[in-house]
Amino acid sequence: MTSQALLFTLSALGISETVYLIKKRLLSQEPVCPVGDNCLAVLGSKYNKTLFIPNDALGLLFYVASAIITAFLVIEIPPLTFWNTAMQIFIIAGSLLSVYFTYLQFRIIKAWCFWCLMSACTIWLMAVIIIVSKIY
Amino acid sequence: MRVGMAITFLWIGILILKSPESWGGYVQPWAVRILPFSVTSALLMTAALDIGIGILLLIDWQSWVAGLLASLHLISVLTVSGITDVTVRDIGLFAGSMVIIIESLPMQIRIYLLKLLKIIKK
Repeated sequence: MTSQALLFTLSALGISETVYLIKKRLLSQEPVCPVGDNCLAVLGSKYNKTLFIPNDALGLLFYVASAIITAFLVIEIPPLTFWNTAMQIFIIAGSLLSVYFTYLQFRIIKAWCFWCLMSACTIWLMAVIIIVSKIY
Repeated sequence: MRVGMAITFLWIGILILKSPESWGGYVQPWAVRILPFSVTSALLMTAALDIGIGILLLIDWQSWVAGLLASLHLISVLTVSGITDVTVRDIGLFAGSMVIIIESLPMQIRIYLLKLLKIIKK
């Protein structure tokens, strides 16, 4: 239950963060960049879409799905094994994609975006929680 | 604070959906008697309301409506559950929801309320 509470909290944080970025993009406004000043260089780069889907929308889909799956696991909606496996696959895929996005910022775009790094850390933390909950 | 409140409401809504019967113990007997439906049904509706408020707060859409619903909901919770060990938590959430209303109230409503206050003062 503790790991699920943490996973749900992180998913909710991710939802609020990606909704903020989507709103700013749709309104053509510059997002607040609390650390560094290169958020726009990353968010406005040619790498801001994956398979024609904006990365912020992709992130929102990921976080909404993980929040719903976690809720299903807490409420114990069957099939629990399927939801557990789906969650693990989802978070592994998200973590790998976040590694790729961080690599893009580091090596290709050569600029750091606070929101992108925060999202990557959120997903990696979710992966750590899944691993730790498997061990204990 | 908005996101923190959202997570609290969403999580409580999910926990109520998980076992509405166990949350029935928080409802005072006098409140159970006046309910037009079963306690479980009332709690399932409460869970839906909690989740709805949580979603509105999380996506920051009409946050003042969510804050208003949250504060009204918390007043009803404080009324039907009575004074318990966790009342202080509900008071904290109530204060938080009031801050969200004040912070996100649209300008037109603020102006209207100010005019209303001036009329009342006269």
